[in-house]
Amino acid sequence: MKITFAEGLAQAIYEAMAADSRVVLIGSSFMGLNMTARKLMEPAVRDYSDRMLVTPISELALAGAGIGAAMCGQRPVVDLGTGSFIFQAFAQVVNEAANIHYMSGGQSKAPVTFYCLAGMRGMGAAQHSHRTQAMLGQVPGLQILTPGGADDAYQLMKWSLLKSQNPTVFICHSLLFTETSELDPNEPMLPVGRARIRRQGSDVSIIASSITVPRAMAAAELLEKQGIFAEVVDLRTVVPLDRETILKSVAKTGRAVIADECHKSFGVAAEIAATLAEDGLSFLKAPVRRVVVPDVPIPFSQSLEEELTVSTEKIVAAALQVLGR
Amino acid sequence: MSANVSSNLAAMLKIRRFEEQCIAMARAGKLPGHYHVYIGQEATAVAACAALKPEDFLFSTWRNHGHLLARGASPGKMLAEILGRSGGYAGGKSGTLHLSANDLGMPTTSALVGGSLPLATGAALACKRQGKGIAVAFFGDAGLEEGAFYESMIIAQVWQVPILFVCENNSIPPKDRKRGQYTSSTLPAQRLGDVTQSLQIPSEAVDGTDLTAMEECFKRLTAEVRNGGGPRFVEVCCSRWPGNIMTWPELPGGDWQIDWAFGGKPDVDAMVAWLSSDPLSLYLKKQLAAGALDRTQIEAIDAAVKKEMTGAAQFALDSAFPEASEAYRHVFAAQESAL
Amino acid sequence: MTDLSLKMLHRFYEQLWQIRFFEGHVQRLAASGEVPGFPHLSTGQEAVAVGVCANLTEGDMLFSGHRAHGHVLAKGSDPYATFCEVIGRQDGLCQGRGGSMHLVDVSTGMLGATGVVAGNLSLAAGAAWAAQVANKEKIAVVFFGDGATGSGVFHETLNLAGLWQLPLLFVCENNGMAEFTGREEHSDVAKVSAFAAPYGISAQTIDGNDVLVVNAAARSAIQGIRAGSGPYLLECMTYRMAGHYVGDAQHYRSKEEMATMKEKDPIERLRLHLLAKGDSAEELEAIMQRVKAEMTAVVDRARKAAHPDPATVMDYVYSADFPGREENAKWN
Ligand SMILES: Cc1ncc(C[n+]2csc(CCOP(=O)(O)OP(=O)(O)O)c2C)c(N)n1
Ligand SMILES: Cc1ncc(C[n+]2csc(CCOP(=O)(O)OP(=O)(O)O)c2C)c(N)n1
Ligand SMILES: [Mg+2]
Repeated sequence: MKITFAEGLAQAIYEAMAADSRVVLIGSSFMGLNMTARKLMEPAVRDYSDRMLVTPISELALAGAGIGAAMCGQRPVVDLGTGSFIFQAFAQVVNEAANIHYMSGGQSKAPVTFYCLAGMRGMGAAQHSHRTQAMLGQVPGLQILTPGGADDAYQLMKWSLLKSQNPTVFICHSLLFTETSELDPNEPMLPVGRARIRRQGSDVSIIASSITVPRAMAAAELLEKQGIFAEVVDLRTVVPLDRETILKSVAKTGRAVIADECHKSFGVAAEIAATLAEDGLSFLKAPVRRVVVPDVPIPFSQSLEEELTVSTEKIVAAALQVLGR
Repeated sequence: MSANVSSNLAAMLKIRRFEEQCIAMARAGKLPGHYHVYIGQEATAVAACAALKPEDFLFSTWRNHGHLLARGASPGKMLAEILGRSGGYAGGKSGTLHLSANDLGMPTTSALVGGSLPLATGAALACKRQGKGIAVAFFGDAGLEEGAFYESMIIAQVWQVPILFVCENNSIPPKDRKRGQYTSSTLPAQRLGDVTQSLQIPSEAVDGTDLTAMEECFKRLTAEVRNGGGPRFVEVCCSRWPGNIMTWPELPGGDWQIDWAFGGKPDVDAMVAWLSSDPLSLYLKKQLAAGALDRTQIEAIDAAVKKEMTGAAQFALDSAFPEASEAYRHVFAAQESAL
Repeated sequence: MTDLSLKMLHRFYEQLWQIRFFEGHVQRLAASGEVPGFPHLSTGQEAVAVGVCANLTEGDMLFSGHRAHGHVLAKGSDPYATFCEVIGRQDGLCQGRGGSMHLVDVSTGMLGATGVVAGNLSLAAGAAWAAQVANKEKIAVVFFGDGATGSGVFHETLNLAGLWQLPLLFVCENNGMAEFTGREEHSDVAKVSAFAAPYGISAQTIDGNDVLVVNAAARSAIQGIRAGSGPYLLECMTYRMAGHYVGDAQHYRSKEEMATMKEKDPIERLRLHLLAKGDSAEELEAIMQRVKAEMTAVVDRARKAAHPDPATVMDYVYSADFPGREENAKWN
């Protein structure tokens, strides 16, 4: 069965609401301003509107209410809207949710999902374009799910709503909505914490997540035309990070290109590069390359934003570079 | 002596003696870190908790000892936690600032001003959806300086969830209060309830030195909230205990003495003045005047409480510090990793 | 209200049309994809911008939000530079870095528009405080929507403004909508002005679609603020004639509602007022046509303006004296 990313999300939300009456939606514009994708939420609105709460523009308290309800037996998902708005809620997400299980010595849990539509979406300008996975990765206690394919959008969302026992930040990218993948409903889910090898290869590993996954796949296709076989590792989740699969892939290919939409310094790619430096140095036939966003706020003008974007072309160029071509 | 009078007295004394012991232990170098005591506010926790049911949820702040004790927490496990020992409620991970007892409906405690208010609102949402219980949020007057307070009030009101916001205002005594003269002079509102009333939440104030008045107030408000009336706000006007100084609490005039309810006086002027707004002393005097109890009975209750506190201290001090490996536990809760 | 000169009234009429036409072009070009992103139009709300800003001097400081085109123009920014910014050109107010939601023009005192709801309120309080310290005559004005009152920072800022008695005018444009939801769905408080009293802040709710009413109310509020009587909250009841953003199909609006729109239109209301005062329909038509032609010329010119040079993308991340500036540019 072929599904789109947006369909996967909507279907996961619907099925989770059907399966468990504790699943509540605090805010419900999961598809952002994409009106076509919004239609996909209609079945949920039709059948479960009593579990969709109307929200004022109060991100801090909405996030906190999600945590509080989660501690007390519900399984809420808080729609924080554009990824940048999670900053309004940081005090609750970072300083309450992430700490609750630990500082209660394991007594309490907060299985809440914070949903964001993050990333460089095209002319969002500086205040609507943040990718927060790297900074949130600095917060022990938060799970960070960053699906890059429709299959994972569906499975990770459903898992987060039904099975997760920890606070989760679910980071979507609006430019992924039309990506498609095959989904076999009978096949067991790849466990959370395991990266997905989206494409096998022998010459270079391209490590990607979220929006860089389809771009890495496109890059791999272009490289193949030049006789280069790239392996694409889709992280799926930034926390937990599947270091083992990354190291295995690089052990095989000897070369690594890390494509990530966070800023260069202190980013997800930086963490992976550090892992390779610590535990994979002997595998490397060339220095690793990061294809990331320079340390610049995201400008409005298209010509400037494109300059900063992690594009397929940049990934191809980096792969050629590590291959010495 | 009615059962109610003796249990009220025991509950308030328990908090007072617990806090005195904390101060003594800190003086002796046994209590690490900074901490906050509830002396002078005991009647609030006791009256509020008397109106609650086991299924209700409570949220507190850094000044939480009284709320936990009134809810029935074990003084030994509390103290062990405060000393960072393995026998504490969180195995030494929370300390005093985040002291919580999940099995008593206190799942977490935030030490951030305004931090617990959104959580409490969410707990109330869970109560509403589950069709049982209410949430009570205790917080200080500084909470109103935080945006989290307003956002919580707004969503509590829009969603009509069962929550009682209890603001314990321990700043300048009510009668001396003028506009622009709050806690740290940081809220120009004349009455805190004016702010919440503007958000359409029924609001009132109650005398935090009068246990009887608060018993009535909390019984009524929790019933309204329980019956689906939506959120309520109450300002409890307490008066600041002179030992609550800037950094670490002190015990001016020493431990509280029963004799002070019988005409004896502490040797510190500030304490003499404060006793006229001490809910414990006032309650005792009122019950004595009504002939509801006598000195021997009081002394017996106090002796029992003190004994319990000595036991608690022994338990806490005997409890081992956690193993180093404990530092890595409980970052994430156990879970299934696939659907 | 009647003490305004005819010249002033004509100025208002011109300004209202200026904003209307400016945004008409934004809407048209957004539909064809030439204006990128999701610009928010103030169509129907122009009277608030024009009525308030007429009382401000160049030194007064303005803050706005995601729906800022009208405020920026009314405060005196060059329409060409403003339009260039909306379409991301080098000649734009922010050299194409900001776009529609982040218009800044320090030269006119337009210190910031933010895409974050309520993100501007505390900044305005800071500006007002700076004015209080430096120069009693200057004031700060912040425009925000009714949706912003759901945010805690609104209340934190009311508290600070009341406490410090800041020279700050809060202007709430209550269009009864936050994105696609009506106010009654996410707030139990009908009037935003009710929030001010507990902080000792004076407030008033007025008809925001009548530029004369807005102008008079803002004038007396601003006089009071300049005289040192502390902050003021002016709630302007208004009506968003356009969708939330360009492209919003507005399914949430009924046919009946769409039909009554013209009665609410602030331009039509001023036109009727001017006709009653003796202006001829032709005179008013001529003003409108002149503004229309001017704006068309501005937009034509802006569309030909250059795009920013990608090689300048590292500019302005840090101020020129930041020691790590060059290192940052080199490393990336
Ligand atoms: C967000 C945040 N800001 C500042 C502090 C530091 N702080 C701790 S207690 C306190 C004052 C609290 O006063 P109040 O709420 O009246 O409670 P009280 O201590 O009087 O019971 C402050 C400012 C904090 N813990 N959290
Ligand atoms: C912090 C934050 N949350 C959510 C949004 C998304 N958003 C943009 S405009 C808007 C509605 C704002 O309503 P209001 O303040 O009434 O202004 P109006 O659009 O009616 O002018 C929302 C929710 C945002 N930009 N910032
Ligand atoms: Mg609005």
